[in-house]
This record gives sequence, C-alpha cells and structure tokens, in this order.
Amino acid sequence: MGFSTRTLFLTVTLALIAFLASSSFTVDAQSNVADVLQKKITSLQAKAVKNKGVIELDSLAFDEVMAKPRNYSMAILFTAIGPEYQCVPCLNFDPEFKLVASGWSKLPDKTKMLFGSLDFKVGQAVFQKFGMNSAPSVLFFPPSDSISSNPLSDRYDFSRNGFTAESFANWVNARAGTDIKVRRPIDIVALAVKVLGVFALIGTIYLIYTKAGKLSSSKYLWSALSMIRNPPYTIQGRDGRPGFIAQGFQNQFGLETQIVAVLYAILTGSVISLIGVVPKIENPTMQRMAVWVSMGLFAFMFSVLIQIFRVKNPSYPFTLMF
Amino acid sequence: MSTESTSTVAKVLKPTILILIAIVAIASRLFSIIRFESVIHEFDPWFNYRTTQHLVKNGFYDFWNWFDEKSWYPLGRVVGGTVYPGIMVTSALIHNVLHFFNFPVDIRNVCVFLAPMFSGLTAFSAYLLTKELKDSSAGLLAAAFLGVAPGYISRSVAGSYDNEGIAIFLLVFTFYLWIKAVKTGSAFFGLMTALFYFYMVSAWGGYVFITNLVPLHAFTLVLMGRFSNRLYVSYSTFYAVGTLLSMQIPFVGFQPTRTSEHMAALGVFGLLQLYAFAELVRGYVSPKQFKTLLKGGIASVAIVSVVILTLLSLTGVVAPFTGRFYSLYDTGYAKIHIPIIASVSEHQPTAWTSFFFDLQMLIFLFPAGVYLCFKELKDEHVFIILYSVFASYFAGVMVRLMLTLTPVVCVSAAIAYSTLLDTYLEKSDHVLASSLRDAAAPSDTSDSKASGSSSKKPIPKGKTPETEPKPQPKSSATGEKKRFPIFNWDSRLVVILQLTWFLFMFAWHCTYVTSGSYSSPSIVLASRNQDGSQMIIDDFREAYYWLRKNTKEDAKVMSWWDYGYQMAGMANITTLVDNNTWNNTHIATVGKAMATSEEVAYPLLRRHDVDYILIIFGAVIGYSGDDINKFLWMIRIAEGVYPNEVKEANFFTSRGEYKVDHDATLTMKNSLMYKMSYYRFADLYGGNAVDHVRGARMPSEGPSLSVLEEAYSSEHFLVRIYKVKQPDNLGRNLKDATAFDK
Repeated sequence: MGFSTRTLFLTVTLALIAFLASSSFTVDAQSNVADVLQKKITSLQAKAVKNKGVIELDSLAFDEVMAKPRNYSMAILFTAIGPEYQCVPCLNFDPEFKLVASGWSKLPDKTKMLFGSLDFKVGQAVFQKFGMNSAPSVLFFPPSDSISSNPLSDRYDFSRNGFTAESFANWVNARAGTDIKVRRPIDIVALAVKVLGVFALIGTIYLIYTKAGKLSSSKYLWSALSMIRNPPYTIQGRDGRPGFIAQGFQNQFGLETQIVAVLYAILTGSVISLIGVVPKIENPTMQRMAVWVSMGLFAFMFSVLIQIFRVKNPSYPFTLMF
Repeated sequence: MSTESTSTVAKVLKPTILILIAIVAIASRLFSIIRFESVIHEFDPWFNYRTTQHLVKNGFYDFWNWFDEKSWYPLGRVVGGTVYPGIMVTSALIHNVLHFFNFPVDIRNVCVFLAPMFSGLTAFSAYLLTKELKDSSAGLLAAAFLGVAPGYISRSVAGSYDNEGIAIFLLVFTFYLWIKAVKTGSAFFGLMTALFYFYMVSAWGGYVFITNLVPLHAFTLVLMGRFSNRLYVSYSTFYAVGTLLSMQIPFVGFQPTRTSEHMAALGVFGLLQLYAFAELVRGYVSPKQFKTLLKGGIASVAIVSVVILTLLSLTGVVAPFTGRFYSLYDTGYAKIHIPIIASVSEHQPTAWTSFFFDLQMLIFLFPAGVYLCFKELKDEHVFIILYSVFASYFAGVMVRLMLTLTPVVCVSAAIAYSTLLDTYLEKSDHVLASSLRDAAAPSDTSDSKASGSSSKKPIPKGKTPETEPKPQPKSSATGEKKRFPIFNWDSRLVVILQLTWFLFMFAWHCTYVTSGSYSSPSIVLASRNQDGSQMIIDDFREAYYWLRKNTKEDAKVMSWWDYGYQMAGMANITTLVDNNTWNNTHIATVGKAMATSEEVAYPLLRRHDVDYILIIFGAVIGYSGDDINKFLWMIRIAEGVYPNEVKEANFFTSRGEYKVDHDATLTMKNSLMYKMSYYRFADLYGGNAVDHVRGARMPSEGPSLSVLEEAYSSEHFLVRIYKVKQPDNLGRNLKDATAFDK
C-alpha cells in the first residue's frame, strides 16, 4: 500500500512542477527551436507522468508526437486490447509494458525517452501507414536528428526476447541509453500461494511424521508441474468458443492440465477406494454398490482420459468404453 | 491344494515367470532389428560404439590414455578423461568372455543387444526391490511393468547403445541393495550398494540422483526419529566406500568433494556421525544434562557448517551447481544463459501426454501405490515416497528424466495393483474366519499384516506414551480399521475382470508405442509409399559411406555438431565439432561459418583446414529435422560468441518471419547454409521447386556458390556434401575465378 501512495504523491508533485514549468515557459519567446522542443517534451512528460509513464495515443496524437524535430526517443507499443480482437499476447504484454514505463517514471531525467501506446481501435491509420498487420509490436523511434535506420527494422522481437518486462527494459536501455529498472510490485496472491505452499509442505511432513498421512502428494504435483511452462490458460478457438485441449502433442493449456489432473485424481481415488474403503463396509449390499460404483467410475474416467489423449494424438488406436 | 504344494508350485513358477518376463522385455526391444537391421542408432551411441571398438582393439590402458585427434579438430579430445566408461567396459568384457569361450560374436552385436539384455536384468531387480516393499507377487508385477514400460524402452531398444541402457538397471539394483542394507543394517549390503554405486558412477552422469536420494532418505529417517544403528552402519559404509570408489573415475575426479551436487551426501554423513555420537553420550549422562548439551551442540554445528559452506562456495573451492543442474530448478535459466542446453530437445519440459504415452495406466496407479506406502511407512516405504516425489518433479522439468521416474512408477503401481488383486482374490472362508476373529476380539482389530507391521515399527523417541495407545480407541470406536472380505462374487468378478482387461490394454499400448515411436534407428528412415509399401531412406549411411571411400584419410569435414559422432563413427573422418559439446566457442565458430557470407566464411574454413562441409537438407522428402530448421540455433549460438558478426535479427524479415523463399532477407540468402541447402535445388524441378518442410515456393533462380563446389548429394538430397575450393592458382579471388570459368 505504501508503494502506491508514494507513487501517487510523486505523480502529483511532478505534475505540479511540470505545470508550473510549462506555464512559466509560455511567456518566453517561442521562436527558439530549443524552447519549442523543451516545451513539447515537458508537456509530453507531464502527460506521461499522469498516466504512469505511458502516453495513450491515437492517430492524431501519434503524428503530433512524431512530428520533427524531436530530441527524444520513443518506444511505441502497437496493440489491440479490445476483446473483439482476441489478442491474447496483447493482453499478456500490456502489464509488462506498463511496468517498464512506470520504471521510466522513476528516472531522474525523463527527457530522453518516452513511452507511447497506440491501440488499433483509435490508430488504424497509423497501423496502415506502417504496414502493421500483427499486434503487439513495439517500434523504437530515435530522435529525429540522429542518423538511424528505419524504425520498422528495429522492432522488439517477442519470440526471441520474450514477454517479460525485464528483457523489454534491457532492449529499451540498449537503444535509448537510459537506465530503466523494472521493479515488480509484490504480487500478494503469489506470495500467499508460496506461504501456503510452505505451510502445506510442513503440514505434509508433519502428517508423514505422525503417520496419519493420507495425502498422496504426487497427485498435487501434477497441477504444479504444468505451471512450470507458464502456458496460456485457455485459448479462443476459431469459432469463438474457448478451447480446453491444446492441439499437438507437446502443447498444453492451463485448464487442460487441471482437467487431466482431476481425471487422474478420480482414477487414483477409485483405486484407493477399492483398496481401502470397500473392505471396511460391513453391509454386503452397500459393499457391492461401492465396488460397482468405484469400478464403473474407474473404467469411465479411464475411457475419458483415453479420449482426451486421442484428441492430442489422433492416430492412437485404442479405446476402452467409447 | 494344500499350502505346502502351493508353495512348491510357487517356487517353480516364480523363476519361470521371471525368465518369461525377461524374454518379453528383450523381445519387445527388437522391433528395430527385425524391421531394419542390427545397427547402432541415433547419435551418442555412435561415439560409444567407436570408443568400444577402440577399447576392444587396443586394450584397456590404451583406451584410458586415448587422445582422439580426429574430433574437435584442431583441438582434439582426451577421451579417457571425458567419458563415463561403464558401458564400453561392460560390452568389451562381454565380448572378451564370449571370445574366450570361442563364441565369435562381433562387437557390434554385443553393443546392439546390450541394452535389451540389461533390461531383462532391470526387470529382475525391480522384482527384488518390490519384494522388499511388499511381497513377491507384487514383485513379479513390477518386473513385468518395468520390462515393457515405454518410458524405459525409449532408451533401451536394441541398437540404442547408450549409457542409460545399463544405468537404469544399476539405478534400480543400487536402490534395492540400499533398502536391503537399511533393513538388515549389514555392512555387507552397504558395501554392495557402494560397489554398484561405483558401477553406476562409471556408467552415467545420472548417478547424482543416487548421490542425493540416498542421503535424503537417511536424513528423512533421522528427522522422523528413526535413527538406528542399521541406518548408521549402512550409510557410513555406503558413503565412505562409494565416494572413494567414485573418485576413481577420471571424469568424476574430485567432484564429490568439491561440487554442490555432492554436498548433501557429505553433510548427511557428518550428521549421522554426530547423531551417533550424541546417542553414545546420552548413554552416559543424565537426561537433563544431555538436553542442554544437545541444544548447544546442534546450534553450534549448524552455524559452523553453514558458515563454512558459504565461505567455500564464495571462495570458489566448492563449485556452484552446473548449468544443466540449474535448469532443473529454474526452467527459464537455460533459455537465457546457455542456448546449447536449451537447443537439445530432450532438455525440454514434459507435457502430460508424454506421461500417458510412456506409462499409460501406471500413471494413475502410481499415486495409489504411494498412498499405500504412506499407510505402511516402514523405512523402505519412506524411500519410495521420496523417490517418487523427486523423480516426478524432475520428470516434469525435463523430458529425458522420465527415465528415472519409470522404475518407481512401475514399483508403486505394482504395489497398488497387487494390493487390489489381494483384496479381491482373497479366499473368502479364510478372510471370513479372520474377520470373525477380529469381531470377537475388537482390541486386536487390524488385519494380520497391518498389525505385524505396526509392532515392528521403531517407536519414535519421546512420543511413546502419547502416540501408542491412541489408534486403538479410535479404531474400536469408529470401527475404521475393521476389514471385511468382499462378500459378493459379482463384485469380485467385475474388479478382477476389469483389472485383467486393463493389463491387456497396457500390454497392447506398450507394444504399440514401442513399435511405433521408439524403434526407429533414426539413421535409417522409413516411410510408406502411397500403395502402403515401405520405403527405406538410407541417405545418411550412403553419404557417410561415400565420405569414407572418397576422401583422404585425414580429410576434415565440417558439419553441425549433431552429426559429429555419426560421421566419426561411420565415415571415420576428422570432425570439427560433435555431440560432446564441451567447447561452446568452437561450436559457435562453426555456426558462424554457416551463418555468414562466402567472403567471411571462406578464410574461416581455410584456417580450420576444412576440406568438406556436410549438411542435412530435408526439403525434397520433407524431413523436418534438417539444418535449415536447426539454423536458428546455429545463429543463436554463434551470436552468443560473435555478437558483432552474426545477428539473429538479420535473418528475420521485417514482419519477424523466418522465410526461405522470395521474402528471405539478404543476410539469409547470402549465408553459407542457405546457399548450400538450396544450391541447384530449383533445377531439380525445372525451376518450380517447393520446399516440403517449410511449405515455401522457391525462387526459380537458385543461389550460386563460388568458394565451394558440390561434391556429393545423396539419393533423396537428404545429405549434401560440399568441397571447399583451394585458393585460385592465378591469385584471383574465387568469386571472379568462378565467374570467369562460366
């Protein structure tokens, strides 16, 4: 909490300073190019600071920002956040981009470099102008007086550098000569999960210790395992329905992992019930029912599992019940 | 049948079943030999095969001191000091024994059949291990499971002459000996554990798994208050002898005293000594004094050891964890820091399909077996629980480590399965009698096995008065522990029939997977023609044979490192880089030569005395594992060392795509790899060529070459060999000379 109040305070102060500065400069002579530039960067900076470091652009604002001469570099994110575009990577990268931009707002000298973001909804003209047909992408525009290559050839390569803020910050720093540091806010949920995990581990050890261990830890391991790869949870299919099962043998989604984990849990559970629960039932009729239910569940879930496997590997020849 | 005759029958049946299991295990690994021929597969086995040949031909000492000048030209490689010699020595030994008895078996056949033979032994050791955990019927099931489980077959088919082939046997057998040692507390079994541990160290880098799992087991037992003299004797024997022996392998050397991977074993060794000492002291002082002593002792020892370990790590005496080890904990590590590790597909994380594919129904019987281990929880069951937890984690992180998971899955699935069978096959009158007895005497509730185990269990110190009486009132109050027979014959029947059916399915699945996915030699490819007949694509051997017959004996052939071992083994020529990948800079240099233009690459080739370049090109038959697809890794690795001369970004079009057709970037089109791959490719189809791997329509005008000339292209263009031209006689540069000749 202290973190955000401090940011707020900083923002307000900076905005105030920027406002005062810009108003005092209006009185001065405007013919001076340096002053124009100074004014421009100051107002942009104020705009950026207000919005945690990112200047939201549309086609008009883009041209304004890009207008020559300019003495600052600019990293512009071309994105499509709206749900109608179904751009999962855009949604993934957005917070990371903002993280880097907020790292920028901690810099002592903010005049070298600015961050802008342009959504397809309001910036179609610019997308067309640059021949962009995929999002997200980030272009780096150096100052107008520098001898530089076409910004199109210097785009941030997601497949190589990845989606993390850290690598993006490195990319920006290498180009703009800035020293932006990424400070991730503490993720309370993740922290809680970790703390809980430690407690669960201690609890498990305690359970083993007291021999009351009925937890089969490996069952839970499955769900943990899938998280290693950090996969997308689900993905929108072509027809707009969410897809649960990733096509292809080596891919899997978060939800798919959970489905499979539940299947495994049920299968293991029915085996355990056949071994551990059924022989403890005194009533023969009840016992018979328990056996049939467990075994039925076992066979049914096994068939479901095989079916799911066949989605992934269509040439698999075996089936159980269906 | 009387019990006596039953046991006689069982005595005959068990060995018979075990032998049959071994035969099945061996037989199911022979698909590739029947379909193709008795050849060594893949990549690494070719190196092992070549060194084994050297060992058989020149004897052990020569092998030990072998400096191989034919690889890593011009650096060479000290083979004796950089291999795990276990597999080579094993097959040389078998070969020599056979020859001593005048069986003239070729060393190639020994090598090809080594892994299947050892899989029979693995099944046997799984039997032994499981017998220690439950009983011999579970043991037989475990042997059968492990004999045919695809997770293990994947690394041990005939021809797959690799370390893992014998290492899994050693892993399981060492664990069996360890459990036996802990159970009996005999120094003999501790010693045997150490000896087989030594064999394992000599055979596979995965010995680190044992080095960490056994101490972890000992440590957990101590934490659970189960320290005993048995544990002390077995662990101390194992650690002292095992560590000394393992240091005799040159490749391991002083690692056991210096690297962090081995520190846990040392730490537990020290801990056990302290603990034993404390136990000794306890016998001589009053409990109150002892408590104070203990507190002070533990605190000071812990602080001192942490400080020492930190200091040693910081000063660099104890090496930090190696890169491959890091990538086990942080899956992102390899991707960022070491492209060569990330580029190997078997170091990738595992998808759930692989688990199902490799283990089928075992994968969900496995947790049930672990659950049963929790219920028993004797010392050996703790071991299986630890083994399963860690192996599951590692298998999830790296596909390759599925191999270490498979044995424990088979063992604990067999425990679950045989418990199921026990429950539903138990003779009803026998059970009825016992349950009646139970009902008559409610204080002695649990069935004979459970009560027997609980009384045998060492009682945790200090807990005796609270814990012991607790279970009994609980069980008699709720009737929880009371077990009844299965009353109805139909419920017995449905369970038994279904289980049997699942076994059938498991066997089919395993055979299907083995035959379909794990029996390809990968140096010979098979495909189906449209009429269903088989087409064998034997381009690799064709090209290697060409090299063998048509080049000077000391010809240097450059290729990407994947093919280094095969070229050395089959073509017997000098290679620049191979699958050993010990020198990243050298590999990057090769990558640079491939990724740069002819003008840049030519001096580099000349400086490395390269005579020929060999590339794999799959566009004609659609072989997707070719060099153009691996090209990105070459560029990445080269960029890591030569960031100014090779830039990955230049190989992507402005839209960020990796293209080989009209849209390919200039850098791409000028790169040596691109030129070699598509040289005269368009001419094959009269200018209308389509790359079948990347689905790209190629320009009708192909690239031209001036510093290389085509020397050989195999039948399906899969392998292409280029000869590096000598400098021009008249001192022109080669580009002008080629232009003039045209």
